[in-house]
Amino acid sequence: MHLTDNQLNEYLDEATNERAQIESHLSSCDECAARLSTLQSLFVEIESLPEQALTRNLAAPFTLRPSLPVPQLPTFLTLTVILQAAIALIVLIIAAPFVIQLIPAIEMPSLPNIFSQLQSQWTSWLDILSTFQVPSIPEIPILEMSSLAFVLAGVSVLWILGNGLLLRNQMK
Amino acid sequence: MNAPSDRDLILQARRGEAEAFGELVTRYQTSVFNVCYRILHERGEAEDLAQEAFIRAYDRIHIFDIEREFGPWIRRVAANLCLNHLESQKVTTEIDDERDADSAQLPEAVQEVSERSEQIRSALASLPANYRIIVELRHYQEMSYDEIANELNIPLSDVKSHLFRARKLLAEKLHAPD
Ligand SMILES: [Zn+2]
Repeated sequence: MHLTDNQLNEYLDEATNERAQIESHLSSCDECAARLSTLQSLFVEIESLPEQALTRNLAAPFTLRPSLPVPQLPTFLTLTVILQAAIALIVLIIAAPFVIQLIPAIEMPSLPNIFSQLQSQWTSWLDILSTFQVPSIPEIPILEMSSLAFVLAGVSVLWILGNGLLLRNQMK
Repeated sequence: MNAPSDRDLILQARRGEAEAFGELVTRYQTSVFNVCYRILHERGEAEDLAQEAFIRAYDRIHIFDIEREFGPWIRRVAANLCLNHLESQKVTTEIDDERDADSAQLPEAVQEVSERSEQIRSALASLPANYRIIVELRHYQEMSYDEIANELNIPLSDVKSHLFRARKLLAEKLHAPD
């Protein structure tokens, strides 16, 4: 009796416990040996199927996640920011007396006062135009003003320098 | 420096390093895609399902048994996804023989190989979904009858009968005179 298809399949799948029996039949039966050979070549053919290439990268959703680590500022830049704040504070303290001195001078006039001032300035302007006389310049505390301007300029320069440094490093 | 092992990458991925998982995907994406392509016989769908397999794996990375090999595991996940996909779609078992169109401009020798490959793919695609998955698991993932029965949760006798029947159908398709 010839081998069944199941026997041949199990033999090739190495899932039979009648191996010796099958092999002895195969060695004496050309017909079954030919059937086995045909089945085996089918296996080879199925398993020879070449792999195809992908057209997209499946790793992209994992490598391009938005949860990238937040970039940290270098330590010296963090120190620069603190130093900048400290210097600005010191400068403000130094500048404070000048500012206080100036505050009484900046009196907010009431609304009628403004109108009367505007009116008198307008008439004086008309006066100047008609007489071509140089008006008298009111006295200004030149020393205090120039010190304050100097301090404010110093603060601005420090501020701009510090920010410029930060921006330049972020752009790199 | 040696490349990190799959195990290292899985441990890194568990600590929230998505890039480590990306590296694993890079290692296995072609083989996983090919599992899907053999079963589905449709490139776009195969790529989608392969992507889905990796996303599921990533979601389950914390419960993955670190002692198992990642490659065989992810290929089984992919095969199962494809089977579920086919069953949910109730795809007709008769798929075209008219897909050889894009091999038209290849050199003759390459074209012969590619034609034969296409015939094998078409023959595979003509099998019922539950036969296709068993051929995939046995021939391409080299699983034993018992492993397949476990994986698909079906009796051993079904594994054998479906596999042997699938091979018979494939032989008829492939060796039929033109
Ligand atoms: Zn015989």
